[in-house]
Amino acid sequence: MEKKPGYFQGTFLAMGSPCELLIEASDKSLARTATAIIAREAWRIEDKFSRYLPGNIVHRINNSDGKTVKTDDETADLIDFAASLFEMSESRFDITSGVLRKAWKFDGGDQMPGDVDVRTILKQVGWNKVTWQRPNLTLRRGMQIDFGGIGKEYAVDRAAGLLNDETSSACLLNFGGDLVATRAPVDSKGWQVGIEAFDTDAGAAKRLIRLKNGALATSGDARRFILKDGIRYGHILDPTTGWPVANAPRSITIAADTCTQAGMIATLAMLKGAHAEDFLQQQECQYWCFR
Amino acid sequence: MGVEPWERDILAKDEMQLVTDPIEAATDDHIYFSKEASSGGRGFGGGGCGCN
Amino acid sequence: MSREKCKSIAATLATATCALLGTSSFSAVHAQEEPGWEFNTALLYYGEDDDRVQDFSLSILALRNYVDDRSLSLSLTIDALTGATPLGAIPFSGPQTFTTPSGNAVFTTPANVIPLDDTFLDTRVAITASWQQPIGRLNAISTSITASKEYDYLHFGANVKFSRDFNRRNTTLSAALAYAMDEWDPTGGVPDPLSPMLDVGDLSNRAGKDDKNILDIVLGVTQVINRNFLVQLNYSFSDSSGYLNDPFKIISVVDPVTGDPLDRIPTPGVPGPSHQNVFESRPDTRTKHSVFVQGKYYMSGKVLDASYRFMTDDWGIDSHTVDLRYRWPIGQSSYIEPHVRFYSQSRADFYVGSLDGSTLAPAYASADYRLGDFDAITVGLKFGWQLTSGNKMSLRLESYVADGAVPGDLLIGNQQGNVIYPDLDAIIAQFSYSFGK
Repeated sequence: MEKKPGYFQGTFLAMGSPCELLIEASDKSLARTATAIIAREAWRIEDKFSRYLPGNIVHRINNSDGKTVKTDDETADLIDFAASLFEMSESRFDITSGVLRKAWKFDGGDQMPGDVDVRTILKQVGWNKVTWQRPNLTLRRGMQIDFGGIGKEYAVDRAAGLLNDETSSACLLNFGGDLVATRAPVDSKGWQVGIEAFDTDAGAAKRLIRLKNGALATSGDARRFILKDGIRYGHILDPTTGWPVANAPRSITIAADTCTQAGMIATLAMLKGAHAEDFLQQQECQYWCFR
Repeated sequence: MGVEPWERDILAKDEMQLVTDPIEAATDDHIYFSKEASSGGRGFGGGGCGCN
Repeated sequence: MSREKCKSIAATLATATCALLGTSSFSAVHAQEEPGWEFNTALLYYGEDDDRVQDFSLSILALRNYVDDRSLSLSLTIDALTGATPLGAIPFSGPQTFTTPSGNAVFTTPANVIPLDDTFLDTRVAITASWQQPIGRLNAISTSITASKEYDYLHFGANVKFSRDFNRRNTTLSAALAYAMDEWDPTGGVPDPLSPMLDVGDLSNRAGKDDKNILDIVLGVTQVINRNFLVQLNYSFSDSSGYLNDPFKIISVVDPVTGDPLDRIPTPGVPGPSHQNVFESRPDTRTKHSVFVQGKYYMSGKVLDASYRFMTDDWGIDSHTVDLRYRWPIGQSSYIEPHVRFYSQSRADFYVGSLDGSTLAPAYASADYRLGDFDAITVGLKFGWQLTSGNKMSLRLESYVADGAVPGDLLIGNQQGNVIYPDLDAIIAQFSYSFGK
């Protein structure tokens, strides 16, 4: 907990990212309570939907060995959402595509998997191969689901919702670059947020955004990529081919009503590769796209 | 005749603007103003110099 | 992924998100980008062959965007010009001596060489400041002031433009007005029209400064035809009045039979012109009308830009200009753009090759090659690329060639068969760099 001019800053670690809450409050204890509320919600969601924790619903689903698993309401809501996204993105957003990570290592090196390896793993990818009849989910043997593409944005939206119930102070939640503002600080046009154009040493062109309320989400490959023969392969994989999306922008930031919406539009735009800007233009939302 | 707002993706591109490079346009306007008897058309007559 | 299926998923996504987060609606997002600066800079070299005009120019344009689509633009251009320009006098089989424009010295042109004034050296600074903003949802206004200064020339101008969108913003109508006040102040003063070129130090035919005013009106319509195609049509009206002469241009006074410049005896002991020349005389008003049409067409990544302009004025000049550019993307971040421009003009009513010394001079006469009959062609190539930082660079190289002639019925005696009209052969090279903050 740190006191800054006009607001308090509470920080914690969740979902593998540094998270923070900026809250305009005169009272340190309110700032502490608010931070605790959102941290608890972030950890709750992380524990529930993490791939790594044995015993949680995702682990049970991924080790179901072809058997049907009954899900609770929250998990079912997320699965319904993922199913809509699968349709909206014409099969390019697919929560069963996580297994492809076994073939790819996005560490800035130039290691590429063989064609056969990718095709073998691709057999276990495809939401259309899943039987979903709420609340029952049946995966084929060897398939896995991964909420990594939705989790962080969902968490920050839920946390913001809880905060709104708790206090009417102006808050800015930042979960590793996914932001929600509940309202603007008094006497200001909004929280000042910077988006970096790239991770280059040439002095990234930083854009300054004033966020009054709503959300900003960024999708990008600044740190996770493969560089081979001068071509940069971002970490977003196309589930229909198993390969990274060709010619995707390096970074896309979207402003939307909720972080879930912003994150999804950013991801869907990335999945469009070279046509990202065309797609974004048609969504009529504010976007910042860098190549 | 025309397009819906969500069909303006191509028209929004830099290379589809009527003037893609303002300095180049101004430079050419000035060169041709000083070497020819015509000027302007796209915008004002240019000129404003003693070179013609 | 098929282009046609790309449509807005906003509504579907909003509904799905509402279901996920368990609310019925969201309050709309409010995110505003802080104003930023954008800079365009360019370095230009323009060079004509045969020791004629050479120009180095530096331009800087700074654009500052404010919220709500308002913007301020400031530009500065500095030109350094050297080299010679054709005087308007004709070449002939002997050398000729002329007085310099300032009246301080003389210079000589060899036989059979088109006389060029070789004391041309000037620096020019020009600035522009513009403001642009919307008025309501469908209208916009933009206004600017311009000023420039050269050694012997001063310019001030202001303009304003209104535009309005119709038809779901597919049609834009605009009306613009510009007014300029310019002033000539050449060394020695502005020469009386049709007065003779005098000896060194004789400024008896010179007045002081003189000025001109120019009014321009441009009416335009821009129309989106379809997703890939945009057109613009403009009508321009221009009215100039005041001192419209070029104070440095002269006309040779020739023998009616041989067509050779008539001899002149300078005052003893004082250097001066060897032959008879008079300063040009143009009308003190000029009205021009132009029609300009431009189209931009997108074809799978490539853009064709084509435009045509027709100009006609009350000096008898008509011109046609066709300009074609084709931008071809190379990879993700560069392009190549070939360019070709055709220009053709017909001479002014008062354009002459020379003046017959035995008859009275007409009221208006000019031998300035830029008022004559000529065709010009520009051929160029531009290469542009974007750096990883997002900044842009471009390089263009063009060749500008103009080729004209004095019409046969205006040639006298020995002039026929000589090359009287100075053709033009120039190269244009420009490097530009754009960056933002």
